[in-house]
Amino acid sequence: MVSPAEALAPDSKVPTLIASRLTKTFGTRTAVSDLSFEVARGHAFGLLGPNGAGKTTTVRLLTGLISPTSGDVTLFGERLTRDNADELRARVGVQTDTNLYETLTVRDNLLVWGELYGLNRRAIGRRTLEILEILALSDRIESVVGELSKGMRQKLSVGRAVLHEPELLFLDEPTAGLDPEASEDLIVCLVQMIHAMRTTVILCTHQLHGLEKLCTDVGIIEAGTLVTTGDVGELLRLRWPRQRYSVSVGADRDRAERVITQVVGEVDETKGSAHLDFSVDDADEISDVVAALVGAHVPVRSVVPRQPTLHDLYFATVEQRDKS
Amino acid sequence: MINRRRIWALMRKDWRELSRNGQAAAPLIIVPMLFVVVLPIAVVLLGDNTLLTSSIGGLQGFLDHLPVGLIPAQFSPQQSVVYAVLVYFMAPFFLIIPVMVSSITAASSFVGEKERRTIEGLLYTPVTDRELVLAKTLVSVIPSVALAWVSFLVYTAIVDLLAGPRLGGIFFPTWTWVVIVVVLVPLVGFLATSLIVAVSGRSRTMQDAQAASVLVILPVLGLVVSQATGLLLFNTSVALMASAALLVLDVAVYLAVVGRFRRERIVTLL
Repeated sequence: MVSPAEALAPDSKVPTLIASRLTKTFGTRTAVSDLSFEVARGHAFGLLGPNGAGKTTTVRLLTGLISPTSGDVTLFGERLTRDNADELRARVGVQTDTNLYETLTVRDNLLVWGELYGLNRRAIGRRTLEILEILALSDRIESVVGELSKGMRQKLSVGRAVLHEPELLFLDEPTAGLDPEASEDLIVCLVQMIHAMRTTVILCTHQLHGLEKLCTDVGIIEAGTLVTTGDVGELLRLRWPRQRYSVSVGADRDRAERVITQVVGEVDETKGSAHLDFSVDDADEISDVVAALVGAHVPVRSVVPRQPTLHDLYFATVEQRDKS
Repeated sequence: MINRRRIWALMRKDWRELSRNGQAAAPLIIVPMLFVVVLPIAVVLLGDNTLLTSSIGGLQGFLDHLPVGLIPAQFSPQQSVVYAVLVYFMAPFFLIIPVMVSSITAASSFVGEKERRTIEGLLYTPVTDRELVLAKTLVSVIPSVALAWVSFLVYTAIVDLLAGPRLGGIFFPTWTWVVIVVVLVPLVGFLATSLIVAVSGRSRTMQDAQAASVLVILPVLGLVVSQATGLLLFNTSVALMASAALLVLDVAVYLAVVGRFRRERIVTLL
């Protein structure tokens, strides 16, 4: 057991959250199976998976809302139990797809939440203004929540979760149902808030766009099982150890493919497009590829590095899992 | 340890939401008005008219079995009927008011939040089970008791103004009535509401909650109606002892409801 002071120290090595062999069954259905991972203080962990993969059950387990069938959760160095769950939840913020109080105003929604987390009126007023400013909702403070757009409500639900400046923040599909622009805006807001507050974040989503800006670590969950977990950069390097590039070659695709294969060994599968993807061990090999293409009279329109993304990692992992 | 600030925050939130629902307010006003305005006026105006005694269920039987000596000997038959009805027969209604009124709001306490999809957010907060159940109970008990007390004041005024001159001056309320209204009404309201809140936490829909609430509340109502009049036939100290017993029962029921409250059950029933 770690003392609270030790766990709270700015340079604490104690992970904010440890999930240890968590399993949850409902009747004969196993929602989550043998889930283990940990999230270091100040890190943002993306729990990625399709609908029904067990993400929401995981959030409920990690916050003590439901009890695991087996396994343990440790929050801030303390084992989560029914007896200390309420106390530990005071240090946690949770945004889920549940609704705000639609008949109350934006201000009243935040006021209730601040009081439930023990903030005094002055602190609630200050935090309300700060959060609405970041979320670009300052002019809607007196609006009834039911009158807000879906995007505004989504932003407000994130704002409500961070009102009390939690040490650990759970975001469950924060961009669900948002159009791409609103989704982008919300991610920018989240990044700002997370950096400003140095909060540990666990983000559950199946919407992968823009996550690189947010997540330092990921876990990919499928059918209740954690398929892979680790540092985003490390996982990408392990999965794609070579540097990837994309060359645009115009019409003479087949000849270009033969030339590139001669230089680097193989071309990645890029069916039907005018560009070809390939991998090299060293960036210097790019000039060899371009020289070979030019020498073979293949018009080279562009060569761009193609960094694999979380999106690529997610689909590659799921595909590999499905094959196995 | 109960955090009063959190309870108060939850109660204010619920009252704000309720105040925006005008439909819920109508029965809250109509039912007590029937008991405290229409019935006493009818009793005073009709006296021992057979139309009155036959139209109010159980009244004739009540009058026939009233113990001797409770009605002042100098009263005429008509005065005796008016006195007996106003002082003894009406008491159960005041205990029914908080039960009926709070049942309207308490049935929706948890299931309403489930249907509006707000409950899970609330369960993620540091609010404890004790605080949550107590807040959800008091949200319904306080207005229902306040309404019962206001109704009692209105009833007192009507009874003394209309019947007082016919019965030789102000005769209401008696001390036993005061104990019943001030002490027993909140305790009965709390007992019934705790049970309905428990039902609400275990229901999937509002209809389920309302149907199950009726089943839970009927025995309580039966007990209240059967015992209230009996209490009035005794004296104030008996009423106080009954109140003490009910207080113990209230605490036991509240602790049992908290003990059986499971967040897991609520979220997995969503």
